[in-house]
Amino acid sequence: MDKIEISLTINETPYQMRVLPNDTLLEVLRNQLDLTGSKEGCDEGVCGSCTVHMDGKPVRACLTLALEARGRKIKTVEGLATGDALSDLQQSFIDHGAVQCGFCTPGMLMAGEALLSTTPGPDEQTIRRALSGNICRCTGYAKIVTAVAHAGNPQAPCPDCRTQTPYLQAKE
Amino acid sequence: MRLPRFEYLGPKTLEGALDLMATHRDDAKILAGGTDLLVRMKKGLIRPKTIISLKALDELAYIKRDTRENRNNILIGGRTLIADIIASDLVQRKAPALSRACERIGAITLQHFVGTLAGNILQDNRCWHYNQSQFHRSGRGACHKDGGKICYARQDSDRCNSTCQSDGATALMALNASITLQRKGGRRRVDLADFYTNDGIAPHAIESHELLTQICIPIQGGQSAYKRLSYRSAIDYPLVCAGVLLIPSTASPTEISEARIVVGAMGRSPLYMAAASASLGGKKLDDTDAFQKAGKAAMDTAATFAVHNVGSTLEYRYAMVAEMVFQALTEAGEAARETGQKAANKGVQ
Repeated sequence: MDKIEISLTINETPYQMRVLPNDTLLEVLRNQLDLTGSKEGCDEGVCGSCTVHMDGKPVRACLTLALEARGRKIKTVEGLATGDALSDLQQSFIDHGAVQCGFCTPGMLMAGEALLSTTPGPDEQTIRRALSGNICRCTGYAKIVTAVAHAGNPQAPCPDCRTQTPYLQAKE
Repeated sequence: MRLPRFEYLGPKTLEGALDLMATHRDDAKILAGGTDLLVRMKKGLIRPKTIISLKALDELAYIKRDTRENRNNILIGGRTLIADIIASDLVQRKAPALSRACERIGAITLQHFVGTLAGNILQDNRCWHYNQSQFHRSGRGACHKDGGKICYARQDSDRCNSTCQSDGATALMALNASITLQRKGGRRRVDLADFYTNDGIAPHAIESHELLTQICIPIQGGQSAYKRLSYRSAIDYPLVCAGVLLIPSTASPTEISEARIVVGAMGRSPLYMAAASASLGGKKLDDTDAFQKAGKAAMDTAATFAVHNVGSTLEYRYAMVAEMVFQALTEAGEAARETGQKAANKGVQ
């Protein structure tokens, strides 16, 4: 059982590496590439904190073999921001205080991003369904849902959106 | 948790996959989505030497309608993703129970893009006492499913009482589905009802060199529905689930000519409720009383099989069998009356 040479495209950077058949994508990301944004929570597909995008679709990195990701386009939470500029969703998470301990945040961001890329302006039920695969043990779900709903879509009556005037101005 | 070591094989064609399965037999396991397999491997419940991945077998990913030679079936390939089944208009219209069941498998945005319906049918039976970490299991003697002689779910039980918690299987059995098992040099077709062995240790009548390549759902007219109860709305297995199919009679469209009630997560296999189903013959599509009686009858049958090993109390799960069956029947009955009404209106015009 030797290591196998694979090529992965992670956050638009191509990588060549050697992996064992029993390496999961999460282990490769965290241990070989130091992309520690994706978290290892339950490691059995229940908590969703390891969520990454594979060809634009959200998957559990802990239940994906690195070999199965061969030739796929992977996007992790590190790939959401462009340089120092945060994505709308990330900024919205900060504005709405949707981050408590932060462990579930990478998974929530990736699940939220996948939803927003297919359904712009989702309603609450759609968001809750989309995030139903992710657990937040601080139980701050309300703020996370609001953050996704208001991402790139600031609402005037929302105090969290309103206090971020520079952000609103930048939007205008 | 590290995965144990294994050899990875990724055949490019179905022929290639069947060849490999014939060579490796019991040493190999099939990897489609991995939601069930990889978790069991991480917990040390199985240690396959070889993993045969179906990733490249796009020929097995399809949903189509088969109308050759007067047949009227929905055919679903063995590697069709759950997300594709949920999105399918054909399944939504002709087999709504399957659509509902698929929506409840795992979580809606996760794993649906890699998980397959065939994998859901073939998911191993579960038990509180068995699906535990290696460390937990090392603290006590091995249970029947783990190769020992003890059952922790039911005292002094001479057999394994693990529970089949597959959403897909329950819905598909209600829809009278059959599956095609292919091996090198041959294939066989099995009714899903015969596929489940009622044996907790080896719950499926499948050989190690056979691959589930196709699921066939007959389009029979009538309406189906699926109801499920679980702790969480996502990433959870059902505590009780029920799939039903109601076919109105052609002579009087408000009456039921045939009913199929299947209850899942209560036994070692999905349970087809013969008596409860038969009791609905000739009843009206909105006969709430008959639906309630059928629910009670299903509850009585299910109570003989269930053991306390998936969560909640047994009494509650019994009561919920009646409720889930009743809700599913009501929903299917309503839908059938609506379609009957529409057909009648068309006739008038």
